[in-house]
Amino acid sequence: MRLHSMLKRIFAFVVCLASFQLAMAQTSVTGKVTDQSTGAPVPNVSVTVKGSNRGTTTNISGVYTISLQTGDAVLVFTSAGYEATEVAINGKSTVDLSFATTSTKLSEVVVVGYGSQSKKDVTGAVASVKGEQIQNLPVSGATQALQGRAAGVNVVRSSGSPGSPGSIRIRGTGTINNAEPLVVIDGIPAGDLNSVNPNDIASIEILKDASASAIYGTRAANGVVIITTKRGNFEAPMKVSLNTYTGTSQARKTLDVLDAASLAYLKKERYTNDALPVMSEWNDANNAVQRTDWQNELFGKGITNNIDLTVTGGSAKSSFMISGGMYDEKGIISNAYFKRFSLRINSDHKIGNRLKIGQSLQLTRANDNSLNTLSAQDGLIWSAVRFMPFLPVKNSDGTWSSSQGSPNQFGDINNPIFTANTVDSRNTNTRLLANANAEYEILKGLKLKANFGLDGSHYQGRSFGIIINDQTRASARNSLSKSFNESYSILGEYFLSYSKMFAGLHKIDAVAGYTSQTFDGDYFSASKRDFPNESLEQRYLDAGQNPGGIGGNRTYDALQSTFGRLNYDFDKRYLLTATFRADGSSKFAPGNRWGYFPAFSAGWRISNEKFFDVSFINDLKLTGGWGQLGNQNVSSLQYLALIGNVGQYSFGTNDVTGTAQRRLPNYMISWETAEMANVGLSAEMFNRSLSLSVNYFDKTTNDMLLAPPTIGTVGRLSIPDKNVGTLKNSGIEIDMSYNNKIGQVSYRIGANASFIKNKVVTLFDGNYIGTSLYGRMGQEISRTYEGLPIGIFYGWKTDGLYQTEQEISSDANIRNDARRTDGLIQPGDVRFLDLNGDGKITEADRTNIGSPHPKMVYGFNTDFSYKNFDLTLFFLGNAGVQLFNADRMQGIDPTYPFNMYAETMNRWTGPNSSNSIPRMTTKRNNLNHRTSDLFIEDGSFLRLKNLSFGYTLNEGVAKKIGVNRIKFYVTGQNVLTFTKYSGLDPELGYANDGNRQLGVDYAQYPQSRSWIFGLNVTF
Amino acid sequence: MKQNNFYKGLMIMLTITMVGCNKDLLESTPYAQATSANFWRNSDDAVSAANALYPLLGDEMFFGHPEQAWDICSDDQWRSGDWGNEQAIEDFTFDASNDQLGWNWSLKYEEISRANAIIINVPAIDMDTNLKNRILGEAYFIRGLMYWHFYKIYGQVPIITEENVISNTYNVPKATMEEMEARIESDLKDAAELLYAQNDGDNIGRPTKGAAWGYLAKLYLYKEDFPNAITYGNYVINGSYDLLDNFGDNFNPDIVDNSEMLFSIQRHRGWTEENMATWYYAPRPWDGWGFQEPTDDLYNEFEEGDPRLQATMASLGDIINPGPGGGAVEYVDGLNNTDHYFRKHAAFRSEGDGLDHDLDIPLLRSADIYLVVAEAKIRSSQSGDAEINAVRHRAGLGNVSGADMTDLIHERRVELAGENERHADLIRWDKAGIVDIVSHYAIDRGIWKPGRVFQRPKHYYFALPQRQIDLSNGILVQNPNYE
Repeated sequence: MRLHSMLKRIFAFVVCLASFQLAMAQTSVTGKVTDQSTGAPVPNVSVTVKGSNRGTTTNISGVYTISLQTGDAVLVFTSAGYEATEVAINGKSTVDLSFATTSTKLSEVVVVGYGSQSKKDVTGAVASVKGEQIQNLPVSGATQALQGRAAGVNVVRSSGSPGSPGSIRIRGTGTINNAEPLVVIDGIPAGDLNSVNPNDIASIEILKDASASAIYGTRAANGVVIITTKRGNFEAPMKVSLNTYTGTSQARKTLDVLDAASLAYLKKERYTNDALPVMSEWNDANNAVQRTDWQNELFGKGITNNIDLTVTGGSAKSSFMISGGMYDEKGIISNAYFKRFSLRINSDHKIGNRLKIGQSLQLTRANDNSLNTLSAQDGLIWSAVRFMPFLPVKNSDGTWSSSQGSPNQFGDINNPIFTANTVDSRNTNTRLLANANAEYEILKGLKLKANFGLDGSHYQGRSFGIIINDQTRASARNSLSKSFNESYSILGEYFLSYSKMFAGLHKIDAVAGYTSQTFDGDYFSASKRDFPNESLEQRYLDAGQNPGGIGGNRTYDALQSTFGRLNYDFDKRYLLTATFRADGSSKFAPGNRWGYFPAFSAGWRISNEKFFDVSFINDLKLTGGWGQLGNQNVSSLQYLALIGNVGQYSFGTNDVTGTAQRRLPNYMISWETAEMANVGLSAEMFNRSLSLSVNYFDKTTNDMLLAPPTIGTVGRLSIPDKNVGTLKNSGIEIDMSYNNKIGQVSYRIGANASFIKNKVVTLFDGNYIGTSLYGRMGQEISRTYEGLPIGIFYGWKTDGLYQTEQEISSDANIRNDARRTDGLIQPGDVRFLDLNGDGKITEADRTNIGSPHPKMVYGFNTDFSYKNFDLTLFFLGNAGVQLFNADRMQGIDPTYPFNMYAETMNRWTGPNSSNSIPRMTTKRNNLNHRTSDLFIEDGSFLRLKNLSFGYTLNEGVAKKIGVNRIKFYVTGQNVLTFTKYSGLDPELGYANDGNRQLGVDYAQYPQSRSWIFGLNVTF
Repeated sequence: MKQNNFYKGLMIMLTITMVGCNKDLLESTPYAQATSANFWRNSDDAVSAANALYPLLGDEMFFGHPEQAWDICSDDQWRSGDWGNEQAIEDFTFDASNDQLGWNWSLKYEEISRANAIIINVPAIDMDTNLKNRILGEAYFIRGLMYWHFYKIYGQVPIITEENVISNTYNVPKATMEEMEARIESDLKDAAELLYAQNDGDNIGRPTKGAAWGYLAKLYLYKEDFPNAITYGNYVINGSYDLLDNFGDNFNPDIVDNSEMLFSIQRHRGWTEENMATWYYAPRPWDGWGFQEPTDDLYNEFEEGDPRLQATMASLGDIINPGPGGGAVEYVDGLNNTDHYFRKHAAFRSEGDGLDHDLDIPLLRSADIYLVVAEAKIRSSQSGDAEINAVRHRAGLGNVSGADMTDLIHERRVELAGENERHADLIRWDKAGIVDIVSHYAIDRGIWKPGRVFQRPKHYYFALPQRQIDLSNGILVQNPNYE
């Protein structure tokens, strides 16, 4: 069937060629290109004469004219988003085209490591996101834009603060260590995804399984994200496009806290309940007058502005793309900002017939001001929730109000508005990413390629702490600390690629090469204290009077690898890929440096079999693969016992420095190996209007590097990682898309979902991994145990509150508990469950009380277009996930000298008044607010992440104002959120301790709702 | 022509490739750090290793605060501050996961680890014998001091010595009480043997023989080995560790060379960490954090005219210059909850610009040893008058004669108030049947020290940190009655 159609095509071609030869030489041909689905004219379509360099583009009306020479027979129409189409001229003077949009992913080309492949030939698991899907969204970086776009690619947002990128987890959390995927930007591994202007991105490919990513063996265990930026086309006229948008953002929500009167009432009730005299502060009527809603004061209006200009074009020998952009986001908290300037120059050149060279250059400079919103001791939002509501923002004399009146009653929190207005920790990051590559065709099909890259960054951090006299958390001396960090990575790689078809049936593509990359870092920091003048222009080191600390050091790491890949395609039915990579890493001791990572995959295009005869299925492919991947993303030099400075001391006035060992060595440290198997089925149906793919994967990380918990008897030596853990991720990913047209409305629906299970198989000696503790009480929330997912919530189980004395005296849970006999447990206290049956509530009664890993992560988007209008809705969500609302745990705890959640009004006051909010007390005798299931909440959510509505001006009107194309749009971000979660934002992410703690509410900077208005103009 | 250029380029590329394949590419260097292969070479390294024994002591989570905070259990001070976990410590309602129990567990073992490294490596260094002895003495002293603190707080803990380091065995069961005492005794005796009696001006603050003898005397008193307590105490009393003429000079940052201060944590503004304890003890409105306030009960314990009162704590009406720039002001109601703060730990600079971070953190004074000897004598039916009166005489108070335990208890309380002795003393005396700590702590001493339930014998020792129990995987067993 396939062969038949090919013969037919060849025949038609020969016929048309013959007829052309017979006809008179034509001088020109003209025609109009219209969109197949909408009928609208398509401007800027490249029209070239096949086999020549001559071409033109369609104008705004979709019309083109091209002059012909003798021998011209076929026109090639290409345009982004459309199927490249060839049309025979056949002597006609008018050639119109009903241009079909790129309807299916199967016809696309995807970028894979060291090459690209036709999507239909891919046997590994590769997800592809086109640049246009993520452009002009009000986000600072591509990471955020990737959220919800592809199955198995989970973007975890940990903060909504400007410029905060979020973390990418491909096919689950692959290791307890750094589980971020490798990012490859224009062929350079280890770039920073968020330094790229999203509007410069042509495509993002995500290599998910071992077969696809093994070519990047060294750092591919957590997947690979390949960014390809836009480039110019040869033979294309110069095109200038301008993109700009502006908009505002607001807090989506605030927490309900007590007003001043209710707070005073409850504070008094605590003492009455404890039979203690009421502190005089709470009898002061002035302290019951509501003055300030601190969250409303803290959360203001954010502003986002973006502008970028892109120029592309090309001659027969050279093509270029130049873009410059500025992104400026001011957050919903004053002084939170992120600004990025970016410049990009890409060009490609042909030298002779066999040599091609190209280069990319990206220069970015980003500024931000980092606010503390992750601490449950002095975080800004944490403070705003808790600061006393009877205090004004400023006193009548214009000074900031404070809790100094009674720190023990009003809390040792500084006025959060004061803090937000005075924080000064401005950082600047300048990055250069450059590469140059050359490709030489030695023989037909055999190419030698070289690629050199430089990834450099220069980071400047500064932080100025002012003298604070009139706040509770005072600071007697001011200080400036400044740090400089320069890092640069140099890449060199050389590879041969070979492509050949034998006997019309056997197609071979092979690539093999060598690559090395070095990573150098050099940093120093210095601080000074006692600046007599705190004005902004005096905040430089020279103005400080006394030296603070000074430090600096150098780091070096390197990777060295050889790699090879072979693709074999038999008769377009059977596909086979084999990959091998040998990697050496300086992170490991000599002898353990080299790791070897093989991978295989195979595909069967069932729809190309003769026996296959299902009319509604256009394409059906079964794929499967297995492979091993390496991870070396841990600290350097862990095989050495390092001895260094450990502190300063004085004998009288004789200042000395001490030296001690700082780390235990692990001579055996080596690669983590992820072993992954993948089975997938993909199909295109109903004239390719419906595409569906389902993948199952199983990924086991062996020899996971873990630092066994530091048993205290070791002291404070850092414990080296050991290759001891095993972690397993398995799951199903489903991607589907459907497009159709009803009348004038064309629409497309895309959806993806992944169901991933994470399980720690082995740790060390059956022990667990702890995490940092929450708040001033140092409460432990997350632990990692064998047999459970990473970072489950660990605490006590509860069964409501004790309603009566009788319930306490007869409760078997506390039958042997001394606190019961001492009268320390009272009605209105929480009934904790005695799991080990000893009749006492102790540490041993803690257990797994919830998991922060969603059972399903999903996203779906719909695009509608009608005449000049288009509408895009993009939803994403998590389902079956639990969150630990630590902020609420502290927020309804009456023993702190803070304001409380408004729901505390519904506390227990007598039998059956409440079964979930404990009584008011100043004592912590029953630790009612210890880590327990009382604070576990359903964290499922569905979010209308983006809504975009656009209008493209009629061509006639556009032309009148002198432009080719002009489009206006309005886009909303975080427009709607459906969730039962009671905190500020259900997307809590990783606040502290990396992968070990997920989904704990510290009152993190929440994601805001924003609306932008934008304009696209093409000249 | 073009082809020629290309091949030239290819050759260059291949050359770079060959260079790139250089084996050295993967060699990484520990910049600005040493490894055991190039350390422990000479006396400079040994001195530097000994210097590493001290910086951690002043850490915020060590003697900066938590290690001082055990005494909030006593009747001398109210916890104040806003650390929720401290309420449970003060009220004896804590459980094993209370943070206070674990704040500096591993810091003490880090000190032990640094001491062990010296004990293992320094003997082989070719260097001056006296200096080598002093350095080894410092290591034994610090190790003994750490186990002494462990012993007072938890009773029994795992003992890690150089042998554990060599055999790499850190997860070991806790030692018996006898093993604890033997370890402390052995380390302090080694230290007393090796350390200098006095240090020169550049080494003021390193431990001396006197410091080691002093802790030995205390150990013997805790063990109720009165003859040895007297013997070692008398080494101090008869040594060159005289009481200062002025009690308050012990807490005066301007006094650098202090014969009475057997061991303290040295602070030098601008070089060491600031005196973290000062932040904790000073009143909030005066730039401190307002923790650990003296009770009225302690205030009332001082005799009329005892000058130690004012050196120990601030009280209403005192005139103090808290700075910066405001001049001397009256200490008034509202600065602290109990209307007192411990001046022993919070001094203000004579320049009038705020808290003085040159103030050292006192750990052991010879005045304590005088009272140790007095107590040992009284409890072994001898007269302790001479030693008690030496302390009283320095304070300008009249002599006592035929002093009994009541006199001794009073004198220890006022002399050592705020120096983290009282609660440990009361437990010791309860065990000996001299006081009844349960009824003593049940007394309601007002809102800043209501009556509390001390469970005997459970609360003789604090619980071992739950995190350490969990981490030990069944090796470390919790103290009795906390399970």
